[in-house]
Amino acid sequence: MGYPYKPHASETLVLSTHFGDPEARTLKGWKDRGGYRALETALGMDPAAIIGVIKESGLRGRGGAGFPTGLKWSFMKPDDGKPHYLCCNADESEPGTFKDREIMRWTPHALIEGCAIGAYAIGAETCYIYIRGEFTEPLQRMEDALAEARAAGIVGRNAMGTGKTINVWVHKGAGAYICGEETALMNSIEGKRGNPRIKPPFPAVAGVFGMPTTINNVETLTAVPHILNQGGAWYKNFARSDNPKSTGTKLWSVCGNIARPGNYEMVMGFPFGEFLRDICGGALPGRELRAIIPGGSSVPIINMEEADRALMDYEGMAAVGTMLGSAGCIVIDNAQSIPRQVARLARFYAHESCAQCTQCREGTAWTTKILERIVAGNGTAEDLDTLLDVADDMTGKTICVLSDSCAVPVVSALQRFRGDFEALITKKTVHTVPVVVS
Amino acid sequence: MPKLFVDEREVTVPDGATILDAARSIDVPVPTLCWYPKLPVVGNCRICLVSVEGNPKLVPACATQAADGMKVTTESAAAVRSRQGVLSLLLERYPVEQIPEGSSRNEFEEYVRRYNVPTTRSRELPLRTGDERREDPIIQHDMSTCILCTRCVRACADIQVVGVLDVAHRGEFAQIVVGADGNPEHASCTWCGECVRVCPTGAIHDIIPMAVRAASGEMVERMRSRDMPSPDRTVRAVCPYCGVGCQIDLQVRDEKVIHVKSPWIEEETPNEGSTCVKGRFGTDFIQHRDRLKTPMIRRGWIRQGDTWSYDASRNGDERWGRRGGPWDLVAEEGVTAKRRPRTNPLRTNPTGPSTLGDPQDRVAIPDDWYEPFREATWEEAMSLTAQELTRIRDTYSPEALAVFQSAKCTNEENYLLQRLFRGGIGTNNVDHCTRLCHSSSVAAMQRAMNTSAASGSMREVEHESDVIFILGANTTESHPVFGAAIKRAVRRGATLIVCDPRRIELAARARIHLQAMPGTDVAVMNGMVHHILAMGLEAKEFIAERTHDFDRLRDAVQPYTPERAEQISGVPASLIRQAAEAYARGPRSSTLWAMGLSQHSTGTDIVASLLNLILVTGSIGRWGAAMIPIRGQNNVQGASDVGAIPMFYTDYQTVTSPEIRHKFTSTWGVPDERVPLTPGLKVTQIVGAGSPVRGMYIMGENPILSDPDVSHAEQWFRSLEFLAVHDLFLTETARYADVVLPGASFAEKDGTFVNTERRIQLTRKAIDPPGQARQDLDIVIELSNRIGLPTPFENAAQVMEEIAKVTPSWRGVSHARLDGTGGLQYPVDSPTHMGTAFLFDKGFPTEDGKARFVAVEFLPAAELPDDEFPFLLNTGRQMYHWHTGTMTRRSFALDARESTPTVELNPADALTLGVHEGEDVVVASRRAEVRIAVRLSKRVARRQVFIPMHYREAAANLLTNPVLDPYAHIPEFKVCAVSVKRAEPVQLDAGAQGRSVAVQGD
Ligand SMILES: Cc1cc2nc3c(=O)[nH]c(=O)nc-3n(C[C@H](O)[C@H](O)[C@H](O)COP(=O)(O)O)c2cc1C
Repeated sequence: MGYPYKPHASETLVLSTHFGDPEARTLKGWKDRGGYRALETALGMDPAAIIGVIKESGLRGRGGAGFPTGLKWSFMKPDDGKPHYLCCNADESEPGTFKDREIMRWTPHALIEGCAIGAYAIGAETCYIYIRGEFTEPLQRMEDALAEARAAGIVGRNAMGTGKTINVWVHKGAGAYICGEETALMNSIEGKRGNPRIKPPFPAVAGVFGMPTTINNVETLTAVPHILNQGGAWYKNFARSDNPKSTGTKLWSVCGNIARPGNYEMVMGFPFGEFLRDICGGALPGRELRAIIPGGSSVPIINMEEADRALMDYEGMAAVGTMLGSAGCIVIDNAQSIPRQVARLARFYAHESCAQCTQCREGTAWTTKILERIVAGNGTAEDLDTLLDVADDMTGKTICVLSDSCAVPVVSALQRFRGDFEALITKKTVHTVPVVVS
Repeated sequence: MPKLFVDEREVTVPDGATILDAARSIDVPVPTLCWYPKLPVVGNCRICLVSVEGNPKLVPACATQAADGMKVTTESAAAVRSRQGVLSLLLERYPVEQIPEGSSRNEFEEYVRRYNVPTTRSRELPLRTGDERREDPIIQHDMSTCILCTRCVRACADIQVVGVLDVAHRGEFAQIVVGADGNPEHASCTWCGECVRVCPTGAIHDIIPMAVRAASGEMVERMRSRDMPSPDRTVRAVCPYCGVGCQIDLQVRDEKVIHVKSPWIEEETPNEGSTCVKGRFGTDFIQHRDRLKTPMIRRGWIRQGDTWSYDASRNGDERWGRRGGPWDLVAEEGVTAKRRPRTNPLRTNPTGPSTLGDPQDRVAIPDDWYEPFREATWEEAMSLTAQELTRIRDTYSPEALAVFQSAKCTNEENYLLQRLFRGGIGTNNVDHCTRLCHSSSVAAMQRAMNTSAASGSMREVEHESDVIFILGANTTESHPVFGAAIKRAVRRGATLIVCDPRRIELAARARIHLQAMPGTDVAVMNGMVHHILAMGLEAKEFIAERTHDFDRLRDAVQPYTPERAEQISGVPASLIRQAAEAYARGPRSSTLWAMGLSQHSTGTDIVASLLNLILVTGSIGRWGAAMIPIRGQNNVQGASDVGAIPMFYTDYQTVTSPEIRHKFTSTWGVPDERVPLTPGLKVTQIVGAGSPVRGMYIMGENPILSDPDVSHAEQWFRSLEFLAVHDLFLTETARYADVVLPGASFAEKDGTFVNTERRIQLTRKAIDPPGQARQDLDIVIELSNRIGLPTPFENAAQVMEEIAKVTPSWRGVSHARLDGTGGLQYPVDSPTHMGTAFLFDKGFPTEDGKARFVAVEFLPAAELPDDEFPFLLNTGRQMYHWHTGTMTRRSFALDARESTPTVELNPADALTLGVHEGEDVVVASRRAEVRIAVRLSKRVARRQVFIPMHYREAAANLLTNPVLDPYAHIPEFKVCAVSVKRAEPVQLDAGAQGRSVAVQGD
């Protein structure tokens, strides 16, 4: 478990090894801990060879979609005569997710190293780290580290003295969840309103400034130097023996009604029940766990029966009808009102909708209004059907998946906890929730 | 070329086409809301989602490329279900109760009906809101019907390249906003109405033009699109204003034009359906109550038997004399105090209809101006005119008569009128206001390459040119639709170079702005040519094969180093060099210019120096390298083409050739000797001291305001023996007429106009002229017949047949061919020829096919600032008005935007003079002075002022210098010396405009 607590014995520390160690933030401290060796190796390699190593490692995107990183990089055609760009997605705004923040706070150089390797591998001379506007401390850490790295010639016109140009810039967002969506992020970098773009064209064809672009999450890029240092095979070994599709370690942000919230670094495939109940300490005293949103607010809610048999990797989560997502695990216990939680999530999406697509703009707002009415005790019998109808309109029909993300908690909660909603509607009682201070 | 199946029908589309393109190509109606032709695809309404076999998700037809073998089902169950979802979600925030039972009012509601979506809403969410232009006299919003398709945002940003509108906020609060503070003026709105045109629900709409309100008698403060009455019919016309030649659709109800609509964007029109504020909102003048409805004859003309005579004792008021009346001379009016212009557009007058009042009641023509006239019958008016024209011809000579024709009238009318004066009267004293705009350009082009019109097309400038060099043309205001096309070209990546003394909008957007002192263009051009030669960037092959006299040019520009050009013009030598290199490197450089070059006493030389630049770089005769003198009036090109100029018959066939003369006289059935073989007098020679002209016929022109040194011009017109004016209104000129003939506006007749790119277009009659007003063609035909020139035509189409017969490059033109098309660009050699988009790819129309360099030296303007008159006065046009304001100032919308004259003054100069925005100054030249309010503007350089030409009450041309260009006789409108002084404040009586009702005797 991450700072300020000691790691749990069952964690596997790779990315979080130096969390809590202020020395690791400085260039010297980072080099003392083996930093920038991987970059040095990488700059001596053929970019295709680097991509080969990443492919071998089985690393998948940690931003939510879990797309194989090596494959993504290989979409960038070398020698197409165009400038390439790498964007690092540090917009981490998904409710429940706070892992990238810790990476940037404690090991900013690790991210810079990952960015530099990634940029070199895809033939980019420029990398933008798009950082969430509210992240003031992480921003400061990144700026400080970048200043050091630039002064030391690690990044810049002549990176590590190799004559290669690798510029890394930090771009601060202005407080919009949607700017974490990759194409919205690119518009935002370009100085435009952060509206997602229609795909195709995909970023690898026309991304930021219309040029081929790769976009990766902070955690994804931070894993890269470790993989280069220790080899693809080493990373691939962190996996269930029966599932080679999910490899490596994963940072899990755990929050909500749980004894020990925080960041945990777990190997892929670890049993979820054990993780929640033992490593995270299980329910608060006198409470019972009731529902889990395991992968950030955009993934389906599951009940404890499902959680207990789930395995902590992409396939294991899919097997119980949810997703690994960004591994922002929100724990809900029996003192909470599920409809109220869902209403709160819907409001979040309604607030963050960029308002381009009809279904998202109107659907998120309408869903929220209905849910809030139900929570306030003014629900009607048709409401649940209307919610499902609207959720259907909102699923799979819009430019980006924010709309789907709003429908997901609604539909999954109605599947698993419909009774809670019906009780509110039929009893017409305002559900009062005991205030939990954790 | 992918081949796919749309609803089981096979269709092949070009590479890159979308599913929507494929569907539209076979008329499969996929619904669309956010999509609009030629706008960037955003794919956000999600109503066009269709099923594609093998694809688990629905895909947006507008944004998905068609691929080989694709099987598309446009109305699959899933697609229909999804559309119903979109529509019902939109209806959640739409005023459903307004949707008429079982029918629909707009595009969006049509889809609601088509997909049987219940028109109910839960009212869980509020109606949508957005910025509403409540006080706006032209465009208003009813944002409860906005569906956020963002067509308006893109139309404004991508078609007009202005960017007034945007989406603000997010989620359910997202809404369309106007600029940063809701004030369109602060967001550089030009009221072009592009947003109105594209809106699928009428959330953005124009308020109904005053015609309807005048008819219903009520003043409507705030109006919604649903209040718009439906038209009885729609008629295609050509806009009556500038030379772009936009096609517009006039909607007629109860025999009134109630509304102007855009032609569909995909139709082939020069404007692709766009308009500017004048075209869309400025045509209500045709129903203004000032319209002349009966012929009028000056009191004092008495008919005895068949003869008319003038009896001064019976003229109504002895103080008026022969040609006076109860009005101030223009010069006298110039010094009166004026209404103050609004300075704070948010608050003060005039902003909205309520405070502004209706221009119907603030008529530009005071009632008493009609007093010296009496209403007459057509028979009386015609017989008096015929008698006087014949009498003057017989008493003096045909040369004692002259005609001013009209660049606002059709080709057919202009042709017949010059035919009347040449064939009927026997004089070449035939001219029109081209003299005052591009005559010097024509003279220079004739000299260099024997041509008189643009070589290329507007659309090649928009789509093809690499470099656009534009000089002395404020296109975004004077030709806004073309201006927008230029802005689109710049956005596409074309390099824009602007040469203009003012920092106009295009200058601000240009790569290079050459801010030359007015009238110093020859130095700049020669400097550019000098540098091009020094760098060896000239088009050597082109020069060798297609030009003469290059050596002379080389010698002539030798002394014009960029440094010397800088000394003369004030443009930094480095900019001259940059501009020269960019222009010469092109590779496709287009050259556009307007009055800023031509209206100088050295206008012909200035244009000649520009033509040298064009020829030296070979920037002509290729697609993308166009030479376009931008024409200021909708038919100034056509009027010239059909012979309304003193030295040419139609098609610039010289009057000096006996063979050509014979061709015309034999067509007209008159003896050869009837028409002299010498060129006639030009506008600027007809008016003024020493002119032999005693009688005049003026059709649709207002020379008293448009000629330089108005005071003298006004005196001269008053001294005529006979003056007939044929116009829509009792203009400043018409008030001195003996006979006033009420003509027809553009909306009241059939005929053709030629735009600035040689495009002959047909305009159609929408309504009848008011009262007894008659078609201009009828008037000219009757007069011709009365004068004794057989004129058997019955309609404009027949006249065009004769024009085509005598005009080689119009040989293939007929009304039948033009009907329903985007027009034909002449030369049109045969009835099957498709017209000519650009000229001179092979040779120039000279004897040996080669063009000629004409070396020119810089000469300073005739009158430059000195101690007594320290400012340099520049004149020209504004966005909201046109020419002498006869039409625009009678338009409700245009008058609301700009109702008082102003002088543009640099703030630094204002500080020295101690004047503030909106205060009056007195601007005086050696000839006269005017009192006029100040508009502070950094567009004008220090020590320069700009006065628009549109206002009688502060006529710019009182001040201008009547000195003429020696070749073209164009006056120097663009440079004269003036002084500017603070005016003593006067207290204005409420309502009074300071007009003393003086009475003018002779
Ligand atoms: C609405 C929305 C918000 C997103 N926010 C984030 C985010 O904050 N951080 C992130 O890394 N990815 C976010 N993503 C995912 C990115 O679009 C993208 O998939 C990811 O950055 C790719 O990086 P990876 O391949 O390394 O995971 C978001 C996606 C959507 C649709």
